[in-house]
Amino acid sequence: MRNRRVALWVAAATGYAFLYVPLVIVIVYSFNDSRLNAEWVGFTLDWYDKLFHNEEMLTAAANSLFIALIASAVATVLGTMAGMAMYRYKTRLLPVLVLTPIAIPEILMGVSLLIFFVMINFTLGIFSVALAHIAFCIGFVAIVVRARLSGMDESLIEAARDCGASSWQTFRYITLPLIMPGVIAGALMAFTLSIDDFVITFFTAGAGTVTLPLQIYSMIKIAVTPEVNAVSTLLMLLTLALIIIASRLTPTLLRSE
Amino acid sequence: MTARSTKLGKWLVSGPPLAYLVVFFAIPTLIMVLASFRTPGDFGGLAPLVEDGRLDLNLESYARFFTDAVYAQIFLKSVGYALVTTLCCLALAYPLAALVAGSAKRHRDFLLLLVILPFWSNFLIRIYAWMIILGPNAALARTVNGALRWFGHEPVPLLFSSFAVLVCLVYVHLPFMVLPLYANLEKHDRALLDAAQDLGANAWQRFWRITFPLSLPGVYAGAALVFIPALGIFAIPDILGGPGDSLIGNVIKQQFLETRDWPFGSVLSIVLTVAALLLAGLAAWIGRRNLGAEPVRA
Amino acid sequence: MKRLLALFACVLLAMPAIAKDQLHLYNWNNYIAPETIKRFEEFCKCEVVQTYYSDNEELLAKLAAGARGYDILVPTSNAMQALIKGGQLKPIDKAQLPNLKNINPRYMNTPFDPGNQYSVPYAMSTTIIGYNDQKMKELGLPTDTWAVIFDPKYLQKVKGRVTVLDSSSELFAAALKYLGYSANDVDPKHWEEAATLIKKAKPYWAAFNASSYIKELTVGNIWLVHGYSNDIFQANLDALAAGRPFKILQGMPQEGAVLAVDNMVIHKDAPRPDLALKFINFMLEGKNSAELTNLIGSGNPNLDAVKYIKPDILKHPAIFPDKTVEAKLEQLTDLTTQQRRLRNKLWTEIKASR
Repeated sequence: MRNRRVALWVAAATGYAFLYVPLVIVIVYSFNDSRLNAEWVGFTLDWYDKLFHNEEMLTAAANSLFIALIASAVATVLGTMAGMAMYRYKTRLLPVLVLTPIAIPEILMGVSLLIFFVMINFTLGIFSVALAHIAFCIGFVAIVVRARLSGMDESLIEAARDCGASSWQTFRYITLPLIMPGVIAGALMAFTLSIDDFVITFFTAGAGTVTLPLQIYSMIKIAVTPEVNAVSTLLMLLTLALIIIASRLTPTLLRSE
Repeated sequence: MTARSTKLGKWLVSGPPLAYLVVFFAIPTLIMVLASFRTPGDFGGLAPLVEDGRLDLNLESYARFFTDAVYAQIFLKSVGYALVTTLCCLALAYPLAALVAGSAKRHRDFLLLLVILPFWSNFLIRIYAWMIILGPNAALARTVNGALRWFGHEPVPLLFSSFAVLVCLVYVHLPFMVLPLYANLEKHDRALLDAAQDLGANAWQRFWRITFPLSLPGVYAGAALVFIPALGIFAIPDILGGPGDSLIGNVIKQQFLETRDWPFGSVLSIVLTVAALLLAGLAAWIGRRNLGAEPVRA
Repeated sequence: MKRLLALFACVLLAMPAIAKDQLHLYNWNNYIAPETIKRFEEFCKCEVVQTYYSDNEELLAKLAAGARGYDILVPTSNAMQALIKGGQLKPIDKAQLPNLKNINPRYMNTPFDPGNQYSVPYAMSTTIIGYNDQKMKELGLPTDTWAVIFDPKYLQKVKGRVTVLDSSSELFAAALKYLGYSANDVDPKHWEEAATLIKKAKPYWAAFNASSYIKELTVGNIWLVHGYSNDIFQANLDALAAGRPFKILQGMPQEGAVLAVDNMVIHKDAPRPDLALKFINFMLEGKNSAELTNLIGSGNPNLDAVKYIKPDILKHPAIFPDKTVEAKLEQLTDLTTQQRRLRNKLWTEIKASR
């Protein structure tokens, strides 16, 4: 028993190390006294200073956060509904529509959405980007929720029905808490996908809309300076803070049974 | 429960996501599917659909795909990379997901957040960090090549190689394997494992005959969410791939940008998407055959 | 943190409509000095909103799909050709550009835009060889010929330390020049020759890379690159700043090279063509034009700018070539659909070859 726990801990620790060594480099290099993200030269806080005076970068970061919050929220709701529908009912079209955005190359989706928005005369801007993000995030949420639902104990649902609970009550007090870890996992994935998306965002963004990935990728041929490390670090910490605050404010909603 | 209320329930639940995806995904995609039958515009984009009163549709781009072997070759290479990525992700993600799922409730959310936190920093920056780790003068390369030299072998580049591409592919897709696995493992009943232990099963048997089969839906979900996107990726080979690491995602990107051949780009994309969906369907079918059918309500 | 949240709130509130005068500039990143933008904003009492692309092809794809809202674009000549032929540009009213006379006549009235109906030259660069001077001297390699990128007899000394651009047009142009043809040669037989040459050299190259190669060159992981003059100029500045023992120098091959002239053009659906013309005239002033050259080492077609440019930049033959070198530089022309398809087929085969 003890050996197994140790083995699990070691394996998991390797996983965490694999995840964090690059991240530590990202954070450390935000203090690197060199334009290039290539070798350590010396310590400086200049890049954070530059960042706070860089309106473009800050606006881009704010836009990214805003879009990610909207897109992940809507995608989580729609994706959870889709996941439940795929589990409960015999739908043929929905699984295809849900899975295909994951498979389709982003550049095709980006170009097609741009053509579509232009066709229906929809002004490109922050909301066109959010709509695009929702479209490809729904699938990720749906698949995770569906996987969580499979093998679920139906007797609990039946018991609730027998006690006279309505469909909504059954969902709110029985089903939802049971699938909550799946919903949260899906929401986290959707948020991650949205905040870092480049290709689809590039095509669906308006003339004045910049998100952080757009800003950063345009620097790729010149130099991705430590300013980018700085804004990345800060955005990460900000998001972490937002999540911790959110989970404190809604403990009953997010608590899984 | 009447049949009518279930029908209503079905539309209430599946309606909104269906409607959304039809408008913002199916219709735009059909535009591009139609484009695969059109000719490229001389200066980019597409040639007009109606030329001299005739509908300008053809199978030219499809013919090119099926006659030039090189595209199928690159496609198969991409499948290989995606498979290796999926397997490595599974190996790394399983212990992580198991640890998080098995932890005390108050630690669980925190440990989960810890898994996903790195992925809220920018993708490019993380890849650059890997370039630093794998660089020829960094500690890792020097250790590996030092050891190789000891055995009389030529030094190998860690950067700008298939190894670098695979490491980054695994890195970038890891959370998409961890999260579905976690969502599944979290609901496993400890009592089953305790009972098995009481009956004399050792740790490996408990894992292989109880935990793993129960986790299969999570494994399949994670595998789908890693394998399918990995098939179409292009940024990682572009930034740190070697000269031979061009994948089908790169070729597709070239059609839309450098070559301005949208019809052919659409053809390649359609082939990729159909192949990905077929493989996913195949895997799901095999899974259902091995485990028995899922309960489905009408 | 507070500032970020405040900015966040401002973005939310400001989103409905910003009625201020705005000029939308769609440009390469770091392709205009921040001081220049500030001075223009004071001059025109307007706001310049910048969005960026990192490749001509991204610009072309986005516009071909119907994107609107941009005033000024900055395409390279061959991309501009495609835009003109595709009817995407608004003709320029030259009466509003008194400063146009500052441009070197050599760069006006080119086959890309006869009579300069749509465009005004902005800045230039050449695609050449960049190298680590210490390593090249050590290995005794020449730095003024494409042979050092394509000939295995030189390549074996730098195996795994060379990168080439991940662009079929640029790499084929270099190969064609090395073989003695024009960079714009469209004979399929010559293209096959170039493809064979590239496939022979490919095993010695570390990567096809257009994005992170400069970083690796500056740090010393890569010793020799096929790259842009601006990038190589910048790499040297970075190497100096980091105190490296070597310099990164530009090598102009004697067989000739590709010249890229970037132009200011106005999109056909520009919301503010009046501001766009003001901007173009502003950038045609020597002082403003010189600022970019001094910042990134770009070539400059503006004769009036010469007196404002730092003297040591004027000395670089890859940035300000003399007559003999100029004669061997060529701008790339746009290809037809069939030619692009053949080029892509050859390129894909090169990438897939062992």
